[in-house]
Formats: sequence, C-alpha cells, structure tokens
Amino acid sequence: MIETRRGNAGVKIPYVDIGAQNRALKKELLSAMETVLDHGNFILGQELETFEKQFAEYCGVAYAVGVNSGTDALFLSLKALGVGPGDEVITAPNSFIATASVIVAAGARPVFVDVRNDYNIDPNRIEMAITPKTKAIIPVHLTGRPADMDPIMDIAVNGDIFVIEDAAQAAGALYQDRRTGALGNIGCFSLHPLKTLNACGDGGIITTNDPEMSEKIKRLRNFGLINRDETTMWGYNSRLDSLQCATLLVKLPFLDAWNARRRANAEVYRSMLAEVVAVPQELPYEYSVYHTFVVQTEKRDALQGYLESKGIGTRVHYPLPIHLQPAAQHFGYHKGDFPECESQAERILSLPVHQGLSESQIGYVAETIKKYFKG
Amino acid sequence: MRVPFSYLHRQFKARVSGEKEQLLDAILTDIKEFVQTGDFTLGKKGEEFEREFASFVGARNAIGVNSGTDALFLSMKALGIGAGDEVITCAETFIATAAAIAAAGARPVFVDVNDEFTVDAALIERAITTRTKAIMPVWFTGNAPDMDAIMAIAVRHGLVLVEDSCTAINASFRGRHAGTFGAAGAFSFHPLKNLNVWSDGGMIVTDDDLLTDKLRMLRNYGLKSRDEVEIFGYNSRLDTLQAVVALRLLADVKAYTDRRIAIAKTYDQAFANIDQIEVPPRHGYIRHVFHLYMIRTENRDALLRYCQERGVEAKIHYPLPLPYQNCCKDLGYKHGDFPQTERDCRTIITLPAHPYLTNEEVDYTIETVSSFYRSERE
Repeated sequence: MIETRRGNAGVKIPYVDIGAQNRALKKELLSAMETVLDHGNFILGQELETFEKQFAEYCGVAYAVGVNSGTDALFLSLKALGVGPGDEVITAPNSFIATASVIVAAGARPVFVDVRNDYNIDPNRIEMAITPKTKAIIPVHLTGRPADMDPIMDIAVNGDIFVIEDAAQAAGALYQDRRTGALGNIGCFSLHPLKTLNACGDGGIITTNDPEMSEKIKRLRNFGLINRDETTMWGYNSRLDSLQCATLLVKLPFLDAWNARRRANAEVYRSMLAEVVAVPQELPYEYSVYHTFVVQTEKRDALQGYLESKGIGTRVHYPLPIHLQPAAQHFGYHKGDFPECESQAERILSLPVHQGLSESQIGYVAETIKKYFKG
Repeated sequence: MRVPFSYLHRQFKARVSGEKEQLLDAILTDIKEFVQTGDFTLGKKGEEFEREFASFVGARNAIGVNSGTDALFLSMKALGIGAGDEVITCAETFIATAAAIAAAGARPVFVDVNDEFTVDAALIERAITTRTKAIMPVWFTGNAPDMDAIMAIAVRHGLVLVEDSCTAINASFRGRHAGTFGAAGAFSFHPLKNLNVWSDGGMIVTDDDLLTDKLRMLRNYGLKSRDEVEIFGYNSRLDTLQAVVALRLLADVKAYTDRRIAIAKTYDQAFANIDQIEVPPRHGYIRHVFHLYMIRTENRDALLRYCQERGVEAKIHYPLPLPYQNCCKDLGYKHGDFPQTERDCRTIITLPAHPYLTNEEVDYTIETVSSFYRSERE
C-alpha cells in the first residue's frame, strides 16, 4: 500500500499498519461488536466460550482459556502450576521482557539459557541449567518460529519439569506438523494488536490438554470464584472480554491466510537478500509464521538509518537482552554470559513483513537493502 | 412488572446529552473512526480520558489500567507494599479488595464495619501492628468511609492510605471526591459501575508525580523507553477502545448519579415507615452515590424470594463474610470475629436503584417490599 508520495523520494512502507488490517474488516468487526451490545454480557460471556472452543480446535488441544493478555497467560500458568518463591524457571534471554516479568511476578527466579541461531532456546544448554529448584521451562517461539520442542520435552519429562510454551508470537506456527500451543504442558498466546492473531486491545489465551489446569486457570482469572459468592483460593481479575472475543472470532478464520501471506513475503526476502545479510533458513521441522522477519548484519544501525531515510520502517527485537536490563541487575548476570544472544542483539533487524504488504512492496524493500550494500 | 438489576440495555437506548442521537449510535460512530486508526494500546484517546477523569475527580494525575483490582494491586506495588507487610481493610467488601492485597504479597487485616457498610474507624487502631504499612478504606456501596477519622489515624501512625473507591465514581466526603484523600485512589469501570465501559477497566488517581511515573512504568512492563526496562512490571492497560466508550459516558455521569441518589431518597422515605427495615444512617456531608442500594431486614431470605418472584431483581452483596472465605483460611479468622459483618451478611438486601428505572418501577419496588411486610403481618 502506497501511503504517501514524498516528491521523488518514492513510497513509504511502515513497519506495521494495524489500522489497515482493521479497516479491511471494519464492517464485520463493528457488526460483531454490536452483537455483544445486544446482550450486554461483556465479561465471561458467550463470545468468550465460542472463541475458546474455536481456538482450542484450531490448535488441536482439548481446552483454551481466555485471559487479559499474553503476559497474564504466562503468569496464571505459573500460578496454576504452583510456581513461586524459591523456584527457578528456565527461559531465553532474548525474548520480550514479559517472559521474564511473569517469572518475577510469580515470585520465582528466571534462569536464562542461550539461544541458537534460530533465535530460540538451545535445548542442549537447558540440561546444564537445571537445578533441584527448577520447576518449569518456558521455551519462547520467538519471531514466530517454534522452538525445538522434542528435545525440550524429553529433558522436561525426565526431570519432572513443566513446559509452558511462550507462543505469544507464534499463533498458527507448526512444529512437526503440530500447532504451537499443543506441544508443551501449557501454551500461552498473546492477542495483542501486533500479533499474528490480534484483538483491538490487549488479550491472551491459554491452551492445554490438562482438564485440571484449565479449571484452575479459569478460577484464577476470576478471583478464585467457583460460583457468584464462594472462593476456593486467592485469584486475580484477568478476563478476555466479550467484545474482544467478538473481534477475534471475525479474525480467526483469516489467520492461516494471513500467515501464508507473511510466509510468501518472507520467501521474497529470503531469495533476494541471502547474499547481503543473514536470512532465517527454515528448518525441516518447522512452519514459521514470521511474526517478525529478522535479518542479521554487522552494519545493522547504518542499514536501519538508510532504510528510514528511504521511508522504510524497521525495528530491533530487541537491542538489550533481558539479562542486561537494569531491572535484572540483581540476578547477577553479566555481559558475556550469553554470547549468541548478545551478538544477535547487535546485529538483528526486523524488516516489514506483515500481511498487508504485497510481494512487490517487499521486493522494493529488498532492492533498497541491496542498493545499500552494493552502492 | 419486571424491575431489572442491570441497566445496560436501557443505557444504550438513552440519548446523548443535549442531542437527539442515541448514545449507542454515538459511541459506535466513535468506535468506527477509532478502529481504523489501530491506536489500540496506550493510545491518544486513553490519554485524553485520563486527563478528563483526573479533572473530573479533582486529582492531578490519572493512570488507566486493566481493572479496579489492578488499580489497587499496582498502587500497592508502586508504594512498595509487599511480602511481610499488613494492609488494614474492611471485612465487608467484594473479594477483589483483599485479592489485590494478597496478590501484592501482603497480608489483608480485616476490620469490622459500622452501620453504614464501611469500616468502623474506631476499631482500626487496635488492628495496627509493627507490620502495618497501609490502610485501605473501601467506599462500599458508593458510601464514604469516615475519612476524617481514617486520615487522622493514618497520619498518627505514619501509614499509607490507598482508597478502594472502585464503586464510588462521583461520590464525595465533605466535598472532596472519593479516591483523592490518600496516596492513591482506585476506580473500576466494570460494566455495572457508575461509569461503565464495555469490558473490564480501571483507573488510579494520585497527586504524586513520582508515583504516577512509577505506575505508568508498572502497568507497561517497567519500560522506561521502548527498549529499556527499569523495573520488572506487568501488563495492565486500559484498552484505548474502552477509553473511547468512557469519554462519551463521562459527560453524563453526574446527571445519572443524581438520578440514582433521587431514587435512593425515595426508597429511604418509603422504608422509614416500615418497622422491620433498617435504613442505614445518611449524612449531609457525604455524597453517597448508591452503586448499591442496601438496607437491612431480619426476614431477608423471605423478602429476597418474594421480590424475585414478583420481578424485582433484588440481590445480596454478599452473603458470605469475606474473612471466612476459603481463600482467607490461612489468615486464621473464625466466626464471631466480625459480628457486624456477619449480621450484615444475614440481613442485607440490595434493591435495583439504577438511574434508568422509571418512577413506576421505583413505586412498584416499594409496593412489593411493603406488601411483603403487610402479608407477613396477616
């Protein structure tokens, strides 16, 4: 989509365009919202149940539980598993901060393990990080690529450790032909506006085959109430509202097509850019949904500036790894602890890849990048 | 006749103040515009609503969060209240008040209520220990706790004051709006609140700029900039979509609250003549907004059934004392610890008093309650 003409400077390609996706579905979204207004059941209403059922089916699991955000999905999963003070949870240091925040919020200690060049946690390094205090592993399907789950599950089963998938960026991705969210003990998705499946506000959902976990999380999200008046445990207020479910029910049928568009865009980049930057190569077991399309180059900052000057929006996900954040200082990690993650943080650049972009627009971005390198 | 407890359907059919347009249509038009912007998270409309809400309650700052519960939770986190601390609150309230304290890692310490469904200020001081960090008075039912006494205690003992004013939008004590007495005040915009959005939603008000900065960080992962995390935080943001709804509703809050209060007065006058009903004391210096219109009666269960059978959707808020809930079992309270709360749980009844009731419905409710006691005598 050509947004603005700026003299001879050419086109403008924004990194994201949340508005465009919603403009295209405006009529459907509004009429879905009006249905909610007709019954006025805004909290824990019919739309939630329907969406939970459809999303569970989509992922191939028995249960799905809607909550207020992807962050809360992870937090409530940890609480449901009884993770708390004194416990350790293993995860990747290159994720969005939320993955570690929830571990801290639950009172446990995040233990980081370095990643591979697919941006996901290195299963070979997990075993070394396990201690008697390890209660759970949170592999992150970063950039929309599934983590290498089989070896992770083997390690977890042997150690009696729970696996919570952080699938916030990976709704619709496949690992060995199985959906993310159906690979660990619990799967956690974000439905934030920037995600592959997105609401018009914050939202999250948990997937599991464990009926006990599903029940427990349903209570935890609603103050621990088992009926209108009685509680069994302390809980929280973290509900996916009916209005957002109505919008999600409109969008879910498009998810596969949108993901296919992102994959096609990724393919254009891959074929055009391999000689100038490091592009992600798909592994035989995966079907990535490219929440982000991340390339690597020594000249990251200069390239980003150049693209910006050409009207092309890019991002860095993320320039400062979690273990080096000011908030994480007290955990005692240092620069050099996770060389792969740290080297990526200086080289990675996310290119626009969203489903609203055509292959010719992607081609333009790729040409511009080539021009930068070849002059 | 059916007198509904919920008023959402009627609210949608109401007119925008001073215009012919239906409120629902006006909001949907706003949403149509809004959806196209994609400005869904911490967006411009959210900031606009925060400014307007702050000015509405007379606070310097307002911070939109995901719910009233989170407003309480985040306030305590921002004030450094956590493990090892005790927070004194009211034994008669919705579970969320205590759940927020527990979620912060602190221990809720309950104090019994007075005759008005708010904390008995005379009992607060004996609940204070060396671990007490804060007092959390609750504006339960939309009524003001005794803020003069509570403020004095807080000052005397150097305790932080966090108000649970979730049910008290447009309520005031001696002309000062609920939520503006202490370090922070929490509000809920849950669909049944006096200012109601179309999902969960909440707001914190405070005059403290440093606390405001901390709360803004805490609700958004502790992010200081796009990439730098200063402190570990949470995801608790008021959906900008809901701010769009709230901006339309805010304009009429005072008028609708006045109507609520008028209905409550009509009830009060009618029930003053019924011996079996105890109308709580009312005070000229309190603007009680009657989020819940609650009275006490000895024959409560029979009255509840009688009302419900006749279409008056009465309810009980709440039948089980909070300190005796299963979630509180580790706190060690036992029956007899809170005699006034126990009496309330046995005797309270909530009658529909929302501003969309017609005068006929108000009269019918009064007549239904009155006829119950007439039939009881016969």
